[in-house]
Amino acid sequence: MLKVPYVTNYLSEHFAEDAYATLEGYERRGGYGAARKAITKMTPDQVVDTIKASGLQGRGGAGFPTGLKWSFMPKTTDKPKYLACNADESEPGSFKDRILLERAPHKLLEGILIAAWATGSQTTFVYCRGEYAFPGAQVARAIDEAYAKGYLGKRIMGSSFSHDVVLMLGAGAYIAGEETGLLESLEGKMAKPRKKPPFPAEYGAFGMPTTVNNVETFCHVPHIISSGAEWFKGFGTEKSPGTTIFGVSGHVVRPGLYELPLGTRLDEIVFEHAGGLSAGRKVKGVIPGGMSMPILPAGQLDVPMANEFLRDRKTMLGTGGIMVMDDTTCMVRVGWVITYFFRDESCGQCTQCREGTGWMHKIFERIERGAGSREDLEILLDVAAKMEGQTICAFADAAAWPVQGLLRHFREDFETHVAHGKCPFPQSFEL
Amino acid sequence: MPRITVDGSELEVREGRTILQALDDLGLLMNGIEIPHYCWHPKLSIDGSCRLCQVEIEGIPKLQIACNTPVKDGMVVRTQTERVKRAREGVMELLLVNHPLDCPICDQAGECKLQDYAYDYGVPHSRSKEPRRAAKKRVDLGPGVVFDQERCILCRRCTRFCREVPGTGELGVFQRGDRSVIETFPGSPLDNPYSMNVTDLCPVGALTTKDFRFKIRVWFLEDVHGVCTGCSNGCNIYQSVANNRVYRYLPRRNDSVNQTWICDVGRMSYKEIGSESRLKHAYVRSASGGLEVSTYADGISAASARLRRLVESKGPGVIAAVASAHATNEDLYTLRRLLEALGTEAAGLAVPLGDHDALLVKAEKAPNAAGARALGFADANGLVDRIRGGGVDGLVVMGHDLLDPAYVGEPAALSHLDTVIVLDTHRSEMERVAHVVLPVRHAAEKSGTLTNHDGRVQRVDPAVEPAWEAYADGEVLARLGASLGLEGFEQKWDVRAVSRQLAAQIPAFAGKDLGSVGDLGKRLADAGR
Amino acid sequence: MVISADVRARIDLEIAKYPKRSGALLPALHLIQQELGHISPETAKEVAEIFGTSPVEVMEVVTFYNMFYDRPQGRHHVYVCTNLPCSLRGARGLLRELEKHLGVGPGETTSDGRITLGHEECLGACAYAPMMRIDGRYHEDLDVDEAKRIVDALR
Repeated sequence: MLKVPYVTNYLSEHFAEDAYATLEGYERRGGYGAARKAITKMTPDQVVDTIKASGLQGRGGAGFPTGLKWSFMPKTTDKPKYLACNADESEPGSFKDRILLERAPHKLLEGILIAAWATGSQTTFVYCRGEYAFPGAQVARAIDEAYAKGYLGKRIMGSSFSHDVVLMLGAGAYIAGEETGLLESLEGKMAKPRKKPPFPAEYGAFGMPTTVNNVETFCHVPHIISSGAEWFKGFGTEKSPGTTIFGVSGHVVRPGLYELPLGTRLDEIVFEHAGGLSAGRKVKGVIPGGMSMPILPAGQLDVPMANEFLRDRKTMLGTGGIMVMDDTTCMVRVGWVITYFFRDESCGQCTQCREGTGWMHKIFERIERGAGSREDLEILLDVAAKMEGQTICAFADAAAWPVQGLLRHFREDFETHVAHGKCPFPQSFEL
Repeated sequence: MPRITVDGSELEVREGRTILQALDDLGLLMNGIEIPHYCWHPKLSIDGSCRLCQVEIEGIPKLQIACNTPVKDGMVVRTQTERVKRAREGVMELLLVNHPLDCPICDQAGECKLQDYAYDYGVPHSRSKEPRRAAKKRVDLGPGVVFDQERCILCRRCTRFCREVPGTGELGVFQRGDRSVIETFPGSPLDNPYSMNVTDLCPVGALTTKDFRFKIRVWFLEDVHGVCTGCSNGCNIYQSVANNRVYRYLPRRNDSVNQTWICDVGRMSYKEIGSESRLKHAYVRSASGGLEVSTYADGISAASARLRRLVESKGPGVIAAVASAHATNEDLYTLRRLLEALGTEAAGLAVPLGDHDALLVKAEKAPNAAGARALGFADANGLVDRIRGGGVDGLVVMGHDLLDPAYVGEPAALSHLDTVIVLDTHRSEMERVAHVVLPVRHAAEKSGTLTNHDGRVQRVDPAVEPAWEAYADGEVLARLGASLGLEGFEQKWDVRAVSRQLAAQIPAFAGKDLGSVGDLGKRLADAGR
Repeated sequence: MVISADVRARIDLEIAKYPKRSGALLPALHLIQQELGHISPETAKEVAEIFGTSPVEVMEVVTFYNMFYDRPQGRHHVYVCTNLPCSLRGARGLLRELEKHLGVGPGETTSDGRITLGHEECLGACAYAPMMRIDGRYHEDLDVDEAKRIVDALR
């Protein structure tokens, strides 16, 4: 399968060039021009205002307005201010940050530099998941190159602005991708998310004011600074501007990466760009935004991929990880795999999450074994309801939503499973 | 001061407190305003993971945990709405998914917060058909504590306690998700001077004391307020009593004395009440030289006869007394009056010393040294010199701390004395040289007040009755005084009257008599800050 | 000392990067594991000393994260991703074939200590499924035969 995006746009248009990952190759394509513009020609406030005006939303799954997030950093404080780059990409179905780290590490650094200038931050910690050995190595090399060129360290680009970047590799825990779980892990502790308040802008990495942004979010920044907020708003929808790199996987002809404007229709992505269902089969369901997001059935794929539309279908954009399932797929098995994941990755702090994720998976195990009952379906929905909105972080919600989505649209699969005492889809993927 | 409304009642609270802290400050938490909780504890850091304390706050769409929500002026909190009830049901049902049905064999039954809250806030039956998590049971966690990993609800009170209070941090949460378990590091058991406090903290029967294991069902126990006698800190306690026997001490909260803690040594000191070495008979030394069992009345007669003989032959100046810091203020005041009536000033206080720490444990290993000093008893070192120098012929000794190496060191140092009268709770080497030995009551067996290191006067009341004839030291001394025909000892000794008298006579004790110090004690007027 | 002077020196370099020593704990554990294979209680004590923390807290971290091990491992870690996109494309069947091929059960190590075979959650290679991670490298777009070949080549 093609490793670079099948469809590119401003983020990924040069990804086919291996040299783009080097400082020299990146600069040849105009790289670091935006950082130079920000640092030498714009005030920090002007940069923040530009990002605000652009409407850029975080690309890590929550979609929080980036400019607004940057403005939470205190203006006057004697505490050091930090940035953290969330490169912990672990959302099943998402592999877009990986390509950015591997093929555009300097774009990430440039975005970080601009954010650092805008927020007055002295150090950025890039927290990269431990399994991403090669992407991490790419970033490490880029950091060395940037220091050597004077784009990091003291007196960057001849200005009085200094900034350091530290790369840290995680050690295998999905929950380290949660903002405050990341901060805990950065501090050498278990990645157990923190109670909020206080929020990271007040008490973040090592207790200092911190802003955490996703890899892709940082990568949009140089483009916005170079070409302007209005330019950026020319892509995507009014409420969700810009592009994103969708990752398409599952039963499609061309699984891979597709950089497309937000608001592109899901069916267009699946059937036109990704070539439709493989092996001549029909689509049964598509998870639009990474495994935490509720599934959509075949009849509801005509939705623009942007939160303001997806919310009406009771799902969300998340990280744009599009997983396509054909009509051989047993949705109970899908639920088995999903609930296994959430049970395994729960940090275990909150009662509802720790016990709820375990209970839900055990029920799926029992249904899959043929010992399920209709009451179990009600229990699943009830447990999901008891998990939602009541925990330290959104992991419990992320664990509850997919189960709700499966039962909302594929209850028949479950009822057949329960009635027959076994999986009614003999061709479904093996468990 | 911010004003908040909780369930319709307007309350004035302290700035910077969370809802649970504010309610706890006012003494209303679980005492008028019910917000069930597990992980929060007034003396530990905020955890926020049990999720049971969720409440509705007007203007905030999601339920908020009361333990981590700072109060704000005008905040309106509701704790009994349908949403809150459903949230509590949710937490309770989920906690019971993996919790083993150990109630019939679990020590915690009857004082278990899981039982209590499941009953009050949970669902009537469990819908889970799934196998429960299997984990370690009967783990020998340390010298005092046994641990059942399956019962643990992961509130993390125990891990936070060990890190924050004794600072020893023996416990951690290993793994994650529903495989999380509390563990120690191999070779590093839960072994610190406060280790057994985790068994009080643990809301369920996961952490229990080895000492109490399978002893008695708690619903047979009555909890009597008391004060620990292990050192001069005077930790407040509950004495758990059944069948006229104290089965255990539990710490009783007193934010001015011991917070919610007690040291392990103090906790185990209840054993001295029912110890085999209790003094259960009066003894009188016979003409042939042996100590013989006597009636109490004969013992008092023998003691007073000897003292009278000494006074008549040599004058009262040869009589001295050793006060005990285990005795109550009322006992010691009576001793003072007896000595005054006798006409002697020779007295001293023997206090055994030991290790102390930065937390609760004090060097003085008796509960009322400060009270004794406030009542005019100076350290017994001077008196010991007099005794060695031959200036004392008759000695009334409370307790046996006089034998401590810091004082006479061994009974032989007293063998030259004409008369040694001993009042004690326990047998001791004093019997080698005593002429009369009279059993007295332990602090758990009488009423009175004790003054701790900080000058706080705290009351004790009888939790049990000795199965033998014994009286409070003060009552024995009063009977001695009466037997000697001394003025002021005609009336029967009444501890409340004596306490009032003491408070009236000694300015520092004004308003600090038995009837006035209440449940948490009051500090002496000149205790300073 | 179980931890070598060389690794110790590299840990010191990491410590210098962070405002608090503890920030270098995860990097240190990675470095130590590269050398020693897993974190034993003895190792944990040394780590605790280096970072001014307690052995309990070190083991909390070790047992929390997937990539740290508190017991000996095979020379090579072979992990097949079995999350949803990969399962949709046959990853679980592939893993079972590898288990049969190597003669181990799930998560077990071959008797010659060569390979520990297990599964991992999403590794960010969803379009290139099925795939596996062996030590620091990804092997993507696999079929069963290719997977067996790769595994057999491991020494």
